[in-house]
Amino acid sequence: MTGRHYEDSTVDFVVVGSGAAGGVIARELAVNGFSTVVLEQGPRLTPADFEHDELKYWFLSGITNDPARSPQTFRSDPSATAVATGMRPPLVYARTVGGSSTHFTANYWRFHEIDFVERSRFGSIAGTGFEDWPITYAELEPYYTKVEWDIGVSGLAGASPFDPPRTRPYPMPPLPVKSSGVLLERGARKLGLHPFPAPMAINSQPYRGRPGCIHCGFCHGFACEVQAKAATLFNMIPEAEATGNCEIRPDSYVVRIDTNAHGRATGVAYLDAQGRERFQKARAVVVSANGAETPRLLLASASSRFPDGLANSSGLVGKYLMFNYSSRVGAVFEHELNEFKSVQVTRIVHDFYDSDPKRGFYGGGGMDARIGPQPAIWAQRLSSEGPAWGAGFKARLREFPRSMQLACHGTSLPVATNSVSLDPTLKDAWGRPAVRVTYKDHPDDLANARFMQDRGVEIMEAAGAQRVTRAAIRESNFSVHLLGTCRMGNDARSSVVDRYHRTHDIRNLFVCDGSSLVTSGRGQPTMTIQALAFRAADHMTRFARASDI
Amino acid sequence: MPDCDDIEARYSRRALLEAGLGIAAAIALSRSLSVHAAAAEAQRSTEWRFFSPSEARTVDAIVAQIIPTDETPGAREMGVARFIDQGLAGFLEPLAAAFRAGLQDFETQYRAHHPAGQFASLTPARQIEWLRQVEHTPFFESVQQLTVLGALAMPQYGGNRDGLGWKLIGFADQHAFVPPFGYYDRDYPGFAAPEPGP
Repeated sequence: MTGRHYEDSTVDFVVVGSGAAGGVIARELAVNGFSTVVLEQGPRLTPADFEHDELKYWFLSGITNDPARSPQTFRSDPSATAVATGMRPPLVYARTVGGSSTHFTANYWRFHEIDFVERSRFGSIAGTGFEDWPITYAELEPYYTKVEWDIGVSGLAGASPFDPPRTRPYPMPPLPVKSSGVLLERGARKLGLHPFPAPMAINSQPYRGRPGCIHCGFCHGFACEVQAKAATLFNMIPEAEATGNCEIRPDSYVVRIDTNAHGRATGVAYLDAQGRERFQKARAVVVSANGAETPRLLLASASSRFPDGLANSSGLVGKYLMFNYSSRVGAVFEHELNEFKSVQVTRIVHDFYDSDPKRGFYGGGGMDARIGPQPAIWAQRLSSEGPAWGAGFKARLREFPRSMQLACHGTSLPVATNSVSLDPTLKDAWGRPAVRVTYKDHPDDLANARFMQDRGVEIMEAAGAQRVTRAAIRESNFSVHLLGTCRMGNDARSSVVDRYHRTHDIRNLFVCDGSSLVTSGRGQPTMTIQALAFRAADHMTRFARASDI
Repeated sequence: MPDCDDIEARYSRRALLEAGLGIAAAIALSRSLSVHAAAAEAQRSTEWRFFSPSEARTVDAIVAQIIPTDETPGAREMGVARFIDQGLAGFLEPLAAAFRAGLQDFETQYRAHHPAGQFASLTPARQIEWLRQVEHTPFFESVQQLTVLGALAMPQYGGNRDGLGWKLIGFADQHAFVPPFGYYDRDYPGFAAPEPGP
């Protein structure tokens, strides 16, 4: 590929991870003139590698962390021994250049003003680390706008009365509405609600060198072979390389951050494609490896000087893992929707976004009308929700074109025992300690999920569904939203990074990704992760220019 | 899939070539064609790779009750048993040992009640009757899951023969679509601006 090769020199920044956050930070640092190396665990794929292959992508870990090589363990009780999980690991992320932005669904709503100040609004919640963020929505707004224009988001400004203030409209109009969106709009309006066109990081028309969406339907869990979906693989990464200041190094699995006698990071040790250990020296280290791999790397970098792992004087590295509890409603209508066509989501409802003490629990959410998954995964879910064989099952399979789902995305509270840690015994294929996941939903998360599902049922009934079904609300043991495990804060005793994403403990070590979130929002975290990444890169630039890294 | 080539061609020229991405798209399409050729090859094979002939008969009989053949094809015609066989010999190898143990247990239990005959030789009504006894066993549940995958995964994996699984559920195997997508968005008048402030 293009770009520089820095293997034997000391670069300004080494960025661990090339995903939603790492891609943005690399591009910003490179554009600002800093020599930058990005180390990515996974391979570099091209659009020609991306197929509509459900078996490969959903069942055989085609581009995601493969449990055969990267096993994980799970427990819901923090005093129990975690057990190894099977073919589906509890925490899933794409392991490829572009990270999870290659396979995400691309829902790009902004967090609301309330998300940043809920502790002040509602007070503390027993048994949780519920906190205000160290930054406000107003501080992040310019960066939300930058995401919309630099990454490319389709949407309609002013369409939602709940939208937080914005300084610019969207750069592209919304994608064409689907039948599920029309039906959500119909049902929600009958109930006096305010549905609006979904903001999506998918081109509704050609934009910045990438084509418009061809409505193939394979967004959710798949990579986009026409590059209409805004993976950093297609925008930030090539733009970083085009500066001549950035090298993307795939198949480079970072296993340790080294520090010197002054307590400063000196660079990172990584395994190359042949499993040989190499070292990249850098003036500063940025970890954007996702909410599972980031705390894992910090914990695995323990040394005699930092026996509990790097940047962990608070003891909070890996703690406060949050998922965004999501409940689902299924609906079957009289006529065909053909939801397998086009993007997942075209209409959204934010009327229940804010938490309301009158409900008796903390929580809120956003709903969207969506395909649900593509055929094989859809049929597997169907199997868990009614007769799974025989003539009755076959009849239900035939309802595919008349079916849709309402996804109700919600809050997860930060609970200290919910965590990513190093498994004491299990190792991965490279001999590194496996990820151990401890997770049990807070009761309010489940109460909110039930509340949201009830509202979803009302909307689908108002829309005229022939049949409405509720997916069972069970305790979480799986997520692709990996949030909160190195939270931001002003107090070094209760957070891992400061308001600029600099770790409290090590001046030239920065962390920015889903792990930075203080509260969970109501789902769709990538937009906010990227806004944080643009903002973090601005401050890293400022510090580097002041020789303060 | 004659009707999809037309749309693919139209879209690849208009949306992809204009954006300078024609080569990538062309590679993607040629790859998908070679995948289909490999699928046809796999489905012509008559040798079982994992099952003995007797095991294959039993599995085929079970899957044929999960998605039965009526006026339209079922799991048998979709080649689901072939998919499971190829999978357990290859891409689903981690499941193979447990599957074989479950299958042997299924046979043992069946023979304990029916010393004379084979499950595959029963009438459909009697097969259904027996499967009701075992439908909550891990073995049956795994056959059910593999049947769904074998009916609907890409034909390159040995099942979903001629796209029969996709035809059953009404999924169109096309590379691109244009609006309107369904009945309800056909006459959509456009998004009406909301009333001011809730």
